[in-house]
Amino acid sequence: MSKKVNIKICVGTSCFVQGGADLLLYNDFIDPEIIEKCEVEGTSCFNACKSSGKEGAPFVMINDIIYGDMTPVKLKKIVTEAFYARNK
Amino acid sequence: MLEINNQFTFLKSRVYATVLKSYFNGTLENDIDKIPFWIIGKDTDPSRCCIYKERAMIRYRILAFLGVNLEKDDDEIKPLSQFYREIQASKMKPLPVLTTISTACSACPKDQYIISDACRSCYARPCLANCPTNAIYFKNGKANIDQDKCIRCGKCQEVCPFNSILHIPVPCESSCPVDAIKKNANGFVEIDYKKCISCGKCSRSCPFGAIVERSAIFPVLEMLKSEDRVTAIIAPAIDGQFPGNLGQTKAALKLLGFDDVVEVSEGAQITSIKEAKELEERINRGDKLMSTSCCPAYVELVEKHLPNLKAIKSDTLSPMAYTAQLVKEKNPNDKIVFIGPCLAKRVEATKLKTIDGVITFNELASMFVAKEIDVKELVEDDLGNTGCFEDCREFAISEGATTCVLKRMEDSSIVKGYKINGLDRKVVKTLKVIDRIPSKGNFVEIMVCEGGCINGPGTIVKPKVALKLRNGNTQAIAKAMKRETFY
Repeated sequence: MSKKVNIKICVGTSCFVQGGADLLLYNDFIDPEIIEKCEVEGTSCFNACKSSGKEGAPFVMINDIIYGDMTPVKLKKIVTEAFYARNK
Repeated sequence: MLEINNQFTFLKSRVYATVLKSYFNGTLENDIDKIPFWIIGKDTDPSRCCIYKERAMIRYRILAFLGVNLEKDDDEIKPLSQFYREIQASKMKPLPVLTTISTACSACPKDQYIISDACRSCYARPCLANCPTNAIYFKNGKANIDQDKCIRCGKCQEVCPFNSILHIPVPCESSCPVDAIKKNANGFVEIDYKKCISCGKCSRSCPFGAIVERSAIFPVLEMLKSEDRVTAIIAPAIDGQFPGNLGQTKAALKLLGFDDVVEVSEGAQITSIKEAKELEERINRGDKLMSTSCCPAYVELVEKHLPNLKAIKSDTLSPMAYTAQLVKEKNPNDKIVFIGPCLAKRVEATKLKTIDGVITFNELASMFVAKEIDVKELVEDDLGNTGCFEDCREFAISEGATTCVLKRMEDSSIVKGYKINGLDRKVVKTLKVIDRIPSKGNFVEIMVCEGGCINGPGTIVKPKVALKLRNGNTQAIAKAMKRETFY
C-alpha cells in the first residue's frame, strides 16, 4: 500500500494573485500516476507570508513542510521527490 | 500576448498593493515618494540597467495607478505627493484608458525576419523558391534576406527544413488589431487614440511594461470613504477569479465598504431577452446578419473602423447598462461601480450616465491584499434569488451570450449562429467585408478577447484556471478556447 503525499496549496488572496492560482492546474503538470496518490487541497493562509522569511508567495505545504516561491515546475519536482521518498 | 504570470504583472500587483496599503492607513501622501525606494531596495538585482531606472519606472507605474495621463503630464520634477494632492483636488478625464511610458520602451527594431546560423545553405532552397518578392539571396554560404524587399509574409520561415529563420516581431504593434500603435521619431511607442479601441492587447504584450492602463481606482476609493451609498456591480467573469464562491466574493466586497453588490448577470438576462426579441424582428424583416453588442471593444471597433457593421450590430444595450438601470430604479442615489475584466468598459461607462466608476479584478485583488481580506475565509453573503439569471453568468465565456439569447427566443430554429472568438488583424479584415461575403449564419457573437471576458486584460488568473474554479469540465474549457464554431 503506497503512502499518500499531502499537498496543501495556499489560496489566500496574496498567494493566489502572485501565481498560486496556476498551481491549481496540478493535473496538467504533475505525473498522473503520482497525483493519483496525492491528497491535494486548497487551504487558507499559513501566515508564512507574514513572517520575514526569504521566500515569498505563493506558498505550498507538502507533508507538513512549507515551501515558498512556488512554481508549477518546482511543485512537480518536490511532489515527485516526496512521492518516491515515501514509496521506495 | 504575454503569459499572465510574469515579472511585470507581479511587480504591478505589488505596486498597487503597496500604494493601497498606505492609502488605507491614511499615510499615502507621506509615503508615496518613498514607495519606489521600498520596492526597489539598495540590494535589488536590477532587470534594467540599474536600480535608479527601476525606481523611476516604479514612479511612473504609481502615476499611472493614480490615473495620470503620462503622455500629457510627464513632469519629472514634480514629486508624487504633489500629483496625489492634485488628483484629489480635481477630477481627471477618464479617457484615454491606455498611456505609454516612453522611458520604459525599448524602441524595438521594426518587425523582421532574419536567417540564423542554422541555415545549411541547402540545395533545395525552398526559401528562395517560395519568396514572393525575391528577397532571399545567398552570400557567404548562407541565405540572407534583403530587408527592403521583404514583406514579412513568413513564407520562408514556414518552408525552411532546418527552422533556421526567425521572426522578430514588435510585440505591441503585432498585437494591435487596428494598427493604432506607432513609433515616434526616436523609435518610442505612441498610441494613435483616433484608432485605439481600448482592448488592452498592447499593454498585455509589451515585455517592458511600456504601455500601461491609467487606473480609475482613486475616485472609487474616495466614493467608498464618503457618506454616499456605493453599489458594486460585478461582471459575470468574476466567478473563478478569486478562491471561494460568489457569496464569499460579495462578503469581501462589503468588507471593502461597498453597501450593496449586484451581479451584472442580472442585466445580462435583460440583454438576452431584448436581443432575442431584436434578432427575431430583424430576421423577420429580412436582415441577413445581426451581431451581439455586449463587448465594448467591439462596439468601439465598429464605431472607429467598421461603419459597415453599424446597421448589423444589435441595438440592445450591454449587461452593464441594464444592471445599472436596475440599481438606479431601486436606489436612485446610489453611486455605481462596475468591477470587471475589461478596459474598454471604461469607454462605454463614459458614454452612459449611470456608471460612476470602473475598476478591474486586478485592482480589486490589490485592495483585498492591502486590506488582508481572504475571500475564501469569509462567511457567504446571501446572493438573493438568482434562479432566473444564473445561466447568464456564462456571458463571460465565448459562446455564452449566444446560448443565453437562443434560449430566450420563441423559435430558435430560425437562427444559425456562429462566433468570432478573439480579434486580430485578419479578423478585422474579414469583418470589413462581412456584409458582402457569403454569410456563415444570421447571428454572430463577437468577442475581442479570445475565450471571452474570462481572458480580459483586467483578469488575475489564466482562463483555464478560471474555468476550473467555475466548475468547468475540460470539454467546456476546450470549447471556450476554440477560435470559431457553428451551432
